[in-house]
Amino acid sequence: MSLYAQTASYAQMPYQGQGYGPTVVPPNPYYAPPPPVPQPVFHLDANTFRRDYMTRLANLTVNSRPIIQTLSMIAQDYNRYADVVVQCIEQHLRRVPPWMKLPSFYLLDAISKNVYDPYARSFTPIVVRLFLDTYEAVDQQTRSKMEEMLLTWRTGSPNGRELFGVVSQVAIERHIWGGESTQSTPGGRDGGSSISQAQVLSELEFVLGQKERVLLASPHDELTKHHISILQQLRGMVQAGVPQRDLQAILTQLRALTTPSSSPPPPAPAPASYPAAPSYSQLPPIPAPPIAPQPPYQSQPPYPMAFEQPQQEPVDLTRLLPPVAPVATTSVPSAPIPDISGIFSALVRAGVVSTTGTPTGAGTSSKPEEPSQSADPESQARQAYRKAIMSVKIKLTSSDVSKHRPRIVETLYERLPTQCKQCGSRFSDDTIGKKQFEDHLDMHFRQNRKATQAVGRGHSRSWFVSLEDWISSNSVDVKGKGRADGRTVSSKVVAAEEAAKREAELRAMFVVVPPGDEAKPISCPICKEPLKSEFLEDDEEWVWRNAVKKDDRIYHATCHAEATASKSSLAVRLRNERPSRSRSRTPEKATPPRVHAPLNGDSRKSETPTPSRLAGMKRKAEDDHTVTVKREGDVPQAKRVAT
Amino acid sequence: MDTSENVNVHTRKWVLQAESEYRFELDPSATLAIKLVSGHAEIFGAELAEGKVYLFGQECKAAVFTWLGCAIEMSHPSVEYVSDETPMAVYANVHLALEQMRVRALAAVHGLPIPEDEGDDTAGADPPRVLVLGPENSGKTSVCKTLANYAVRAGQDWVPTYVNVDPSEGAWSVPGAISAAPITAPIQTSSPASALGTTATSAPNHVSSNALLPLSYWYGHAEMRRNPLLMDRLIRNLGENIRDRYEGDTAGRCSGLIVDTPASFAASSGTGGDHRLTMIKACVDTFQINVILVVGHEKLNVEMQRTYGNRMAVLKIAKSGGVVELDAAYRERIHKYQLHTYFYGHVIEPPVGITSRGYVQAGEQTPDQTMHLSPLSASVNFGDIVIYRIGEETMAPSSALPIGAARVVSEMQPLVVDPTLGGSGLYNAVLAILAPPNPDESERYDEEILDLPVVGYIAITALDVPNRRMTVLSPSPGSLTGKTAIVGSFEWQE
Repeated sequence: MSLYAQTASYAQMPYQGQGYGPTVVPPNPYYAPPPPVPQPVFHLDANTFRRDYMTRLANLTVNSRPIIQTLSMIAQDYNRYADVVVQCIEQHLRRVPPWMKLPSFYLLDAISKNVYDPYARSFTPIVVRLFLDTYEAVDQQTRSKMEEMLLTWRTGSPNGRELFGVVSQVAIERHIWGGESTQSTPGGRDGGSSISQAQVLSELEFVLGQKERVLLASPHDELTKHHISILQQLRGMVQAGVPQRDLQAILTQLRALTTPSSSPPPPAPAPASYPAAPSYSQLPPIPAPPIAPQPPYQSQPPYPMAFEQPQQEPVDLTRLLPPVAPVATTSVPSAPIPDISGIFSALVRAGVVSTTGTPTGAGTSSKPEEPSQSADPESQARQAYRKAIMSVKIKLTSSDVSKHRPRIVETLYERLPTQCKQCGSRFSDDTIGKKQFEDHLDMHFRQNRKATQAVGRGHSRSWFVSLEDWISSNSVDVKGKGRADGRTVSSKVVAAEEAAKREAELRAMFVVVPPGDEAKPISCPICKEPLKSEFLEDDEEWVWRNAVKKDDRIYHATCHAEATASKSSLAVRLRNERPSRSRSRTPEKATPPRVHAPLNGDSRKSETPTPSRLAGMKRKAEDDHTVTVKREGDVPQAKRVAT
Repeated sequence: MDTSENVNVHTRKWVLQAESEYRFELDPSATLAIKLVSGHAEIFGAELAEGKVYLFGQECKAAVFTWLGCAIEMSHPSVEYVSDETPMAVYANVHLALEQMRVRALAAVHGLPIPEDEGDDTAGADPPRVLVLGPENSGKTSVCKTLANYAVRAGQDWVPTYVNVDPSEGAWSVPGAISAAPITAPIQTSSPASALGTTATSAPNHVSSNALLPLSYWYGHAEMRRNPLLMDRLIRNLGENIRDRYEGDTAGRCSGLIVDTPASFAASSGTGGDHRLTMIKACVDTFQINVILVVGHEKLNVEMQRTYGNRMAVLKIAKSGGVVELDAAYRERIHKYQLHTYFYGHVIEPPVGITSRGYVQAGEQTPDQTMHLSPLSASVNFGDIVIYRIGEETMAPSSALPIGAARVVSEMQPLVVDPTLGGSGLYNAVLAILAPPNPDESERYDEEILDLPVVGYIAITALDVPNRRMTVLSPSPGSLTGKTAIVGSFEWQE
């Protein structure tokens, strides 16, 4: 059975996307280039096989798909030596430094899933310890990758059950998500709960990832888009904190969603079966709170997050639960599609998703209906607003402003019926408003994700922007789109982006390694750092990355470009330097220092670059030198928050 | 009538009638949690999300107002009461009138006819540029905040510029600064240390008014009378740069600006009486003010009517009955909170007995993750920073000098402070780090320091004179982004 055919079965796994996902870059840039992958050879005895397999494993230092494939293919061919393979992998995993562990786990994962028998069985006794020990040792990013992998194990076996059996699965999950308080999410506050917020979030993340990949495959799948936006909202809700009962319900439904994912291929679920419309129209009539004095104002059901079970609320938690509960109690979840709409309708009832569908009630009376077909909906909306505002009879005089009843409710509320449940921002219910609302929810999602990713990392007040940036930054963007993080696109930032792009292009350049030279170490004449070689799968060739060949010498493309630029144009150099000084955030990191560093080292270490290049370079090196030294002097131990 | 009932021992529920507000005041150590149970409510124009638990602290004094009625549930603050007499209707009318000006300005930019212009026919197409004046404790800042928040809530992509020329307020950074910032999302209220939102941090923020990018100048003192000439100059610098920005920013220009002023602009008696008119004139000129709002001050209103009434709209608006008389000690404490929050951020602990998750502080969903800041304590050489003081520390007013005598040191002269000398006054001083001066040496001038904006603030926490080094608290890691600093009269207290 070919491996390629098999991979389809876990095509939804995150690292399957592009050759086992983003390559894990080892922190040490000096690792030896892996030799070309040889064909499997035949072994006669277990010892020879063990030696050979160990040697091959040693090459698995980066997340390289070919190596993992080869190793798992060998494992498949020699399944009579399964125990040896298992031992080798365990030894290897225990021996290598943390940054090398993930690829080996991917191998373990690949072998167990693709070959399954007897490997899954053989790994079962050791996998819990191995996983947890590794999990302890690695950094946060790798951890989340491992969590993703762990989630795929739930349904990883050919019959859709736990890959290493339910006992192992539960043992690992309980350990990393269970009552631990290391996750500093608010969920940690109620001790002794059976489900932690971190776990739900992690699973949500996973399902979301799956859906996003489905969307990538078929970008026009409105249903999946919809699901994603629901899941994102759900995430925000969970992050904000939901009661234990809800966590349970959400988890059950999420699991129901993931269970069948291994059998049907990724292409989206049939949209026809999605009962969207009914779930809207079934929205129960909301009892208006007794205090609502004006008919056009429509109240929304209170958000089911309580100080302590407010009993007198017109709509209560129980409203969220009924549609969820039946699913939660059934032991075998049925098809996935009704389930997500189950979540969805629950959300609608909970008021998390409010007017994504047909607008209900007030809000449209103040302005004319906008036929979305005609000209430009945006300018139409503006015109409608202009009309509405100008129709208010008010003069800017002391008597006029105190005499009238303000027509403010219309402006602030009725025109904008869609409200974000996270922050209270409002949006109109026309197409523009919907778009803005989507972007706005995305923003919350992104910021939440950033916040969870940055847990434990200290934040700090940024320096203010420079005067030029302040003047030239444009304030077109508003609450809808991204820049709630305060970043405004300015000329400097654009310049920095361009520089980064240029650098990426340079780094993508390569020179084919002449045959036979694969193992020969070679350094860039400018920076004296070794050139990295890597294997191009498509071309089946070894190449030096970030390299150019000039006059029979191989340079780093970035070094060479920098040297040429500094030789030819003072202006270019100045432009590259300035952003790193005057920019407000992440001052020294963003732009060109990576390019500078080699030059820097060069003129300090070696005294003999070509004179023509030296003129332009030396001064710069000195500049950088002073900056660096000063920083070293300036920055001793970080002072942590005291309060 | 408004009713309240105890939900349990820790929380109470209030039902507010339309157009009434619930006011609260907190003691120094107290915190408060408020949740909107149903209906719509807002705090100084920023709408609350239903069901979210909002936290308040650091002696916050604020009010939850409702246009349509609402029910809120909260823990017990130090002082609380409900009032149905608010000037919100007036503020809302002012907002609508300003909104008309914005709409007209934008239409003029796009060359569109104004439809059914039933408003003020005589008005041109100028966007609103509002100066808010008023005596102490009249709620000027609340008015400014409400107007700015209503503007951004219109959903028209308005980006009003909020200008704060009250150095005792400090606005987005530390007290002693005067600044301007474009506002893109409602300014949240949670603590008087960040009454107008906060400046950007490296943390991911949900509400852009918590990640503001201000243009800031450092005056360095709390009172205007300390150095009115400097103040005048800084105000004009601010105005000039705002005008520069507007040239490339139509949306921002049409949204207009709102200028919050210190109470000393309105003081009708005492010292600085002659200065305040100069200051008002500086603001009117440089910000091209076309609307003056006088909050609760009859005499000033008349004065402004006489001076500017023929050129622009001058309105008297009522002050809210909710404003609290604040004493000097309170303002001192707020300054301390502000400085501390600038460096360390501030996370408000939920009050005891509230068992809920997902608190919101100033609109931020995960305050415990994003509102803790870690400044950096670093040791620098005396030579690394050149510290100036503007004018002499104790300066008699010019009128007190003998007739014919000229000042040796002018009020505007930057003097280098030598840290090695005793009595340099640098220990525990708050310094403003200035943007680098013009790289072109020929463009430099003596008083350029007065015109450089601030890139950040540091505090000197230790001086080691023998080794010529000092320890500074810097807001973020990395090198100080400038080498020039100004010292004012604010002190850092850990």
